[in-house]
Amino acid sequence: MQLPVEKLTQLETVAYQIRRLSVEMITYGKWGHIGGSFSMAEILAVLYFHVMKVDAENPEWEHRDRLVLSKAHGSPALYAALALRGFYPLEKVYSYCELGGFEGHTDMARTPGLESSGGPLGMGLSVAVGMALGMRFKDNPRGRVFCILGDGECNEGNVWEAAMSAAHYHLDNLIAVVDYNKVMAKGFVWDEMAIEPLAEKWRAFGWEVIEVDGHDIPALVEAFYRARWILPRGKPVVVIAHTVKGKGVEMAEFNYRWHTHAPDPATADRMLRELARTYGFPEQGYSKLGEPEVKENFYGGE
Amino acid sequence: MNGAAIEMRDAFGQTLVELGAQYPNMIVLDADLHTSSKATMFKKAYPERFLQVGIAEQNLFGISAGLALSGFLPFPSTFAAFASRRALDQIAISICFPNLNVKIPGSYVGLPTSRAGASHNCIEDIAIMRALPNMRVADPADAADLRAIMHAAAEVRGPVYFRIARLAMPPIFGPDHRFEWGKGVLLREGRDVTLFGTGIMTTFCLKAADLLAHEGIRAEVVHLGSIKPIDRELIASSAARTGCAVTAENATINGGFGAAVLEVLSEECPVPVRRIGVRDRWADSGGIKELFTHHHMQPEDIAEAARKVISQKKGVQV
Repeated sequence: MQLPVEKLTQLETVAYQIRRLSVEMITYGKWGHIGGSFSMAEILAVLYFHVMKVDAENPEWEHRDRLVLSKAHGSPALYAALALRGFYPLEKVYSYCELGGFEGHTDMARTPGLESSGGPLGMGLSVAVGMALGMRFKDNPRGRVFCILGDGECNEGNVWEAAMSAAHYHLDNLIAVVDYNKVMAKGFVWDEMAIEPLAEKWRAFGWEVIEVDGHDIPALVEAFYRARWILPRGKPVVVIAHTVKGKGVEMAEFNYRWHTHAPDPATADRMLRELARTYGFPEQGYSKLGEPEVKENFYGGE
Repeated sequence: MNGAAIEMRDAFGQTLVELGAQYPNMIVLDADLHTSSKATMFKKAYPERFLQVGIAEQNLFGISAGLALSGFLPFPSTFAAFASRRALDQIAISICFPNLNVKIPGSYVGLPTSRAGASHNCIEDIAIMRALPNMRVADPADAADLRAIMHAAAEVRGPVYFRIARLAMPPIFGPDHRFEWGKGVLLREGRDVTLFGTGIMTTFCLKAADLLAHEGIRAEVVHLGSIKPIDRELIASSAARTGCAVTAENATINGGFGAAVLEVLSEECPVPVRRIGVRDRWADSGGIKELFTHHHMQPEDIAEAARKVISQKKGVQV
C-alpha cells in the first residue's frame, strides 16, 4: 500500500510535534511521562490523522471512532495529538498539570476529544469492550474502538479478563494496540515481569495479531488498514507495536529513569534541539525558557 | 408493619423488569450470579439486553463504563462483596471519576447471606462506596423502598450504589412510596431518643421502639434510605428534639452509616450516640437470627443502646 508523500510528510510532522509538545508540557507542568509519550508518537499520529474517523468540530458525533488510552500516563502525547487535530487551541496543552487545567492522567471532563478517564493501569480495555458492544447494539458496523495499552500494563489481570470477553463477544470492531516499548516504570519488562510470548498470549485468547515496527509510519498505516478492513472476521485484532521507550532523544531511549521525570528547562531545550536534528526539522529550543514560573518551584521527579 | 414479608431479591428482579420497559437503553450485566441475585428475571424478559460477563468483576464494571459512555444505562449486578472489594478501582476511576450513569446493585449485604460466611457477608460496602466522590449510596428498608430507590437511581444522572439484603422484609411503606435523594423519613415520633436506621435495620429499630414503649420510653424512629446524600436537616432536628441517638446498620460501624450520622451530629448537634452494627470484625456463617444475636444487632440490643444514650444525656436520671 503506497502512502502519498504529502501524507507521509504530514504524519511525520505530527509525530515530531507530538514529541515536542510532550517535552514542553512536561517541563512546564513539572511532571509527566516522556518515555511513554515518545514511544507512541507515530501510533497517535497515524490514528488521529489517517485512520480514525473523528470530527474535531463535533466531538460527540454519533458515528465517530473512539480511542481509549488505557496507558493514561501517556496523556501528554494524546493531549498534543488532539490539539494538533483541532479539538482545542494548541496553547491549551500548557494547562497540563495545572490546577483546573488538563489533568496529569486523563480526565474527560477537562479535555475535549477524550473518550474516557483513566490512570490506574489495566482498566481501559474493558471500557473499550463496553464501547464496542455499544456500537454493535447501535448497529454501527463501520465504527471502530481503539485502545492503546502499555506493555507492562499487560501484567494486569483485568487486561486478560477484557481480552477473553472481547473474543467471546466476537468484537471485530475492537482494535487494541500494545505500545511495546520494552521498559516499565522501574526497569525492563523482562526483568520486572515477563510478558512473552505476547503475540501467542493474544492468539490463545482468540485475537488476530499483527506485529509491526511502531515507529515506521507506512508500516503502521498498513497494519491499521489490515486491522480495520481485512482481518475482522468475528475476532478482535491486536496490533503489537514494537517501539522504543523515549524514542527520539538519546538520553531517554530505553531508559526507565525517563518513565516519570520532568526535565529542567535547560535539559528540555537540549531535548527539543536534538528532536529537531533527529527528525530533520529546523532547530528550535524550549519556547518557555527563562519564564519565571518555570524557573521557580522546580523539580518534578519520580 | 402489617402484611406478608417480601423477599428483597424478588423486588429487585421485578423492578429491573419494570425499569427495562421504561428505559429502552437499560442493560443488565451479570457476573455469573443472576439466579442468586434474581437479575435472571430481567434476562428472561429482555434477553437481548442482558449481558453475561462471566466471573470477572473488574471487567463487569469496565464494560459498564464503556456502555455508559455510549449512551446506555447499565446495571452491573453482582454480590456486594465483589463490587466493593474486587472491582473498587474500576468503580472509582472508570465510573465515578467521570461521573458515569451506572447503577450498581450490591446483593447479599451484611449478615443474612445464606451461611456463605465472612468472604460473602459484605459489611464494608457502605463505608467504601460513600468515600467515592459523585457516588450516591442507598440502603432500602423494604420492597417498596427498594423499588422506589431503583426508580430514583434510574432517574438521576451519575453513579449509584444500592444494597439488596438476602432477606424477606415486612412492608413498612405502601406501594405509592416515593424515595428522594437526601431525604429521610420520620416513621415514628418520640421525645426521648432517636433511632436512626438504614436498610433492613430500620425494621429492627421499629421493633426496638416497641420494646422501649413498654418501659415508657418514647423513641423516635427515622429511616435514612439515602445514605449519601444524607438528610442533614432531619438528623439534626430530630436529635435536637430527643437529645440522644442510636444508629443501626446491617454493616460494619467503621466508616459506614452510623459514621455518616455522627459526622452530621458532631457538626450540627452533638448529642450522645451509640452505633449498632458489626463491630470491627468479620462476619460468620450461621443462621440469620443467630448471627444478629451473635453480633448484638437485635432489636433488644438497639433498645439497650437507647437506654445507655438516654442515661448519658445531661441531667437525666434513668
